Amino acid sequence: MIVLNNLTMHYTLNNNRIEVLRAIELTVPGGQSVAVVGPSGSGKTTLLLLLAGLERPSSGTVALDGIALESLDRDQLADLRRDRVGIIFQSFHLIPSLDALDNVALPLEIAADKNARQQAARLLERVGLGDRQHHYPSQLSGGEQQRVAIARALIHRPQLLLADEPTGNLDEHTGADIQDLLFELNQESDTTLILVTHDVELAGRCDRILRLHDGVLNEETDSLRQTLAHG
Amino acid sequence: MVNFVLRDLRGSGRSLWMLFACLLLGVTLIAASGGLLQQVRSGLLTDTRALFGGDIEISQRSPLNDQELVWLRANGRVSLLIELRTMLMTADGQSQVVELQSFDDNYPLYGEVTLDPPLPLDQVLAKRDGLWGAVIDPVLAERLNLSVGELVTVGGLTLALRALVIRQPDRSLSADWRGPPVLLADQALSDTGLLQPGSLLDYEYRVRIDQNLDRWRANLTTAFPDADWEVRTFKERSRRLGEVLDQVGSALLLIGFSALFIGGLGVSNSVHTYLQSKLATLATLRALGMREVRVARLYLGQVLLLAGLASIAGAVLGGGLALAGVALAAERLPLAPTLLALIGPLLIAMLFGLLTALTFALPALGRAMAVTPAALFRGIDANPVRTPTRYRWLTLASGLLTAGLMVLALPQPLFGIGFLGVTLTLLILLEGVVQLLRLGALHLTQRQMLVEHFYWRLALANLYRPGAPLRPTLLSLGSALTLLVASTLVVAALLRTINDTIPEQAPSLIFYDVLQSQVDNFRKQVLATSSLDRLDLAPLVLGRLNQVNGDSLRDSTDLERVLEARDEHKLSYRLDNFDNVQVKRGSWWHDDYQGPPLVAMEDREADQLGLKVGDRLTFTILGETIEADLVAIYGQKRFQSRFWLEGIFSDGVLEPFISRYVGAIYTDPAAAVKLQDTLAVEFPNVVTVRTESVLREARTLLTRASSGLALVAAISLLASLLVLSSVVAGSRARQVYDATVLHSLGARLNTIHRALGLEQVLLALLTSLFALVLGGLIAWGLLEYRLELEIDGVWWTALIVAPLVSGLCLGLGTHHLLRRLNPSPAVLLQS
Repeated sequence: MIVLNNLTMHYTLNNNRIEVLRAIELTVPGGQSVAVVGPSGSGKTTLLLLLAGLERPSSGTVALDGIALESLDRDQLADLRRDRVGIIFQSFHLIPSLDALDNVALPLEIAADKNARQQAARLLERVGLGDRQHHYPSQLSGGEQQRVAIARALIHRPQLLLADEPTGNLDEHTGADIQDLLFELNQESDTTLILVTHDVELAGRCDRILRLHDGVLNEETDSLRQTLAHG
Repeated sequence: MVNFVLRDLRGSGRSLWMLFACLLLGVTLIAASGGLLQQVRSGLLTDTRALFGGDIEISQRSPLNDQELVWLRANGRVSLLIELRTMLMTADGQSQVVELQSFDDNYPLYGEVTLDPPLPLDQVLAKRDGLWGAVIDPVLAERLNLSVGELVTVGGLTLALRALVIRQPDRSLSADWRGPPVLLADQALSDTGLLQPGSLLDYEYRVRIDQNLDRWRANLTTAFPDADWEVRTFKERSRRLGEVLDQVGSALLLIGFSALFIGGLGVSNSVHTYLQSKLATLATLRALGMREVRVARLYLGQVLLLAGLASIAGAVLGGGLALAGVALAAERLPLAPTLLALIGPLLIAMLFGLLTALTFALPALGRAMAVTPAALFRGIDANPVRTPTRYRWLTLASGLLTAGLMVLALPQPLFGIGFLGVTLTLLILLEGVVQLLRLGALHLTQRQMLVEHFYWRLALANLYRPGAPLRPTLLSLGSALTLLVASTLVVAALLRTINDTIPEQAPSLIFYDVLQSQVDNFRKQVLATSSLDRLDLAPLVLGRLNQVNGDSLRDSTDLERVLEARDEHKLSYRLDNFDNVQVKRGSWWHDDYQGPPLVAMEDREADQLGLKVGDRLTFTILGETIEADLVAIYGQKRFQSRFWLEGIFSDGVLEPFISRYVGAIYTDPAAAVKLQDTLAVEFPNVVTVRTESVLREARTLLTRASSGLALVAAISLLASLLVLSSVVAGSRARQVYDATVLHSLGARLNTIHRALGLEQVLLALLTSLFALVLGGLIAWGLLEYRLELEIDGVWWTALIVAPLVSGLCLGLGTHHLLRRLNPSPAVLLQS
C-alpha cells in the first residue's frame, strides 16, 4: 500500500518559488493500477521521482507498505528500490554494453540472487524475446527494448511498479502490444502499478485515473471513463 | 559549409583537443628524427673522402717497402699517417692514454685542419727552440686541464703544446673512447723512442687518386698479390657509415611511428567521443535533407582540419628539435644545420599525421553515420556494434597506405617490415589475450562464488562487454609499460653488473705493450708496490689464421673468410684464465697438458668463420706456421674481459714468438694512481689504463644509454597517457550512465564505486602482467643473446615498476572519474 500524506514539492528558480506538487493526499491499496494523467509540466514525473525515493519532498510523507521514505538514507532508498520497486522509463534506459539477458537479470544480480540469469531467461521467454537473449540494446527495435525494460522492472517481483510514459516512444501498433504485455504481467504479479501517461486510452485500462493539474491531484476515474466510452 | 565546420568545431569542447595532443607527439618525433637523420646524413656523407682521409687507405703494422711506395706514388698522391696508442704525461705528473698521430707534408689530402690559434699545422708541429710542437684535441685539454704553451711528455720526448684542434677532417668517431688524438711531426714520433721492435704501430697510407677507384684497387692487387695489408676505400667507409646512420635513423623514426600508432588509438577514442556528442546534430542535418556522404565529409573535414593543425605544429616543433640536435652535434662532427634539408622530412611527418588521423577516425565516423536519425529522435540506443563494411574497407585502404608509406619512408625498409610484422604479431597476440581474458571474466562472472559480490561481477563484466576499455588500455598502456619493463630490466642488469660484479673482480690497472726486454724490470717494479694483491702477466702475440681443415681462407668463396684471413688475431695463453673468458662449446685442456698444440677460439670469430670444435686450424705467426686442434670456443664476459683475446693456445706453443706482454694489476685505488704515474715514467711505451676510469667511461655511456631508454619509455608512456585520458573521457559518459541506471535499480553508491575501482585495479593488474611477461621476454632476449648478461636478481625492479606505473596511471583516471561520478537517476525520468 502507498500512502501520500500532505506531499508538497517546490523548487526555487531565479528567486521564484515554483510549486510543483501541492499538499497531495493519496492512498493506493496493494495490487491496484493507477494512471496519472495531466499536461506537460503538471508534476507527473516529480510524483514518480518522489515515489521511487529518487527525490525528497519539500514537506509531507511518502510511505510504502508502512515504510516512511523520508526516514531512509540514500543507501536504504537504493535497497528499497532493489527489493520493492520496479521502474519503466519512457526512453527504456537499458545499459548498452549489456545484452538483453544481463539487462533483465540486473535487479536480481544486485540482490545477489543465485538464479538471476535463469529467471531472466524465463521472463524474456515470457515477453517473447526468448531468441533475442544475447542481443544488445542497439540490436533491438524500440518495442523490443521496452519489452526488455518491462521484464527488468518486474524480474524481482516488486510491490510497486512505476511506469513513465511506457509507450511514449513507440508507434501505435507496438505501443498497443506493450500495453497488453504490461497489464498482463502486472495482473500476474499482483503489483501496484503507478503509470504516468498522456495517453487517455492507456489510462483507461487502469483501475483508477488521477489527473494532476497545477500540482493538485484529483480523482477523475469516472469522468474519464465516460469520455472514453463516448469515443 | 566551411563556416559551419569552423563554428561547429569551435563549440566542440575538449574531446577533439585530445586528438590534437595525440597526433602532435607522434608527428613531432617523426619530424625530429627524420630531420636529424637528413641533416647528419648530408653533413657526414657529402664529403666522406675528407672524413676518411683519402680515396683509399692501405694499413699495416710496418712501413711499406720501397717498391710498394714507388708504385703508390706513381699512381696517386700519398700521405702517411702513423698511429700509436701510448701514455701522455703532464708536467704535474698526470698520465692519460692518447692516440699519437704523426703526419707527413701531404696531410690532409682532403679538407683542412683548423687550429686554435689559427696557424698552419706544419709550422705548429715544427721543432722550435729545441722542442717539437704538439697539437691536442680539446677533449684531452679539458680532461687534463691543459692549455697552449704547457709542456707534456710522450715516451722520452718533451713536447710543447702549441695549439688545440678545432676541426680535424678525419677525426675518428670513436676518438673519445679509444684515446684523444695528439698530433705531432713524424720526426718527433721517432724521437719519442717508442718506435721499437714489437711496438703496436699502425702505418696508414692514404692515397688521393684521379682514376676509377675499383680499377685502381684491382691494379694494386695485381701488382702485389701476396701483400698482407688491409685496403679500405672511402666508399666502403661511406657505405658502412651510411648503414649505421640509417639503422639509427630508422630506430629513431620507429619510436616516432610507435608514438603515432599509440596516439592513433587516442584519435579513435576522441573522435568517437566527439561524434557521440554530435549525434543529435548529425541526425538534425540528415533530417533537414543533407545526404549521408555530405554529413560524413563535413565531420571528416573537421577531424582532418584539426589533424592538419596538429601536424603543422608537430612538424615545426620536430624541425626545431632536429636543428637543436644538429647544433649540439656540430661541436664534434662536421655538421651545419640547413633549413632546406628539413623540408622533406617535415612534409613526410605531416603526411603521416593526416593519414593516421584518417585511418583511426574512419571507423568511429562510420559507426556514427550508421545511427539512424529516427532512432536518435526516439531516444533509442541504436549505436551499431560493428563498423559498417564500407568504412571498414576505407579504413583498411588508409591503413595499408600508411603502412606502405612508412616502409618507404624508413631509410632501412627492412626495419619497417620488421616493425609491421612485430606490430601485427603483437596485435594478434593482444587480441588473443583480450579474448582469453574476456572468456575468463565471463566464466568467472557465472561462478556461484561471486553471486554475493555484485561489484566483483560488475567489475569483471566490464572487462568483456562491448566497448570495454580493456583493449585500448592494454594496447596503449600495455605497450608503453612493456617498453618500460624491458628498459628497467636491461638498465638494472647493466647497473648491477657494473656496480656489483666488476669492482669485486676487476683489477685496478690493466696494461699493454710490455716488451720482452722490460718484463723482469716491470715485474720487479710492480711487485715492489706495498699493497699489491696480484699481478697477471701474459704474452700477447699477433697471428693470422690461414687454413681451416686444410682449406685456405684466402681462396675461400666466402667473403667473410677472405677478410678474416687478412685480420691479425690477438693470441695468448690461458694462465689461470686471467681474462675471465667462459667456455661455451668444447672444453679446456688439463692444466698440466703437454701434448700437441691445442687452441680455443673466441665465439664471435669462430661463428664468423663457421668453426667447430674438432677443426684443425693453421696459423701464421711471424712467418712461421702453427697447426693446432680447436678444442674449445669461448665467450667474452663483456665487462669482465679486458683484452679481447681471439685465440688462446696451450702452454708453450707461442713461446718462440713472444715479444710483448699484457696484464693486470690488483691493488688499492690510491696505489693504482701512484703506480700508473711511476710506470709511465719508467716504461713510457707501456700503456696503462685505470679500470676505474674505464668504469667511469662505461658508467657515463650507460647513463646516456639509460637516459635514452628512459626517454623512449617516457615518450611512449606520455603517448599512452594521452590515449588513456581519451579512454577515460570516452568511457566517462558510459560509466556515469551505467551508474545512474544501476542506482535507479537499487545498487548502492558505494557498490558502484567499488565496482569501478575494482575494474581499474583488475585493468592495472592485467596490464602489468601483460607488460611483465612481454617486457620480461624482450629484456631477457636482449640480455641473454645480445649483452650476454644474466637477468636473474633484477626481476624485482620490473615487479615494482609495472604495477606502480599502471596503478598510478589508472588510479589517476579513476580518481578523476569518481570525483565526477554523482549519479542522479532523476535525469532518467526527466529525459
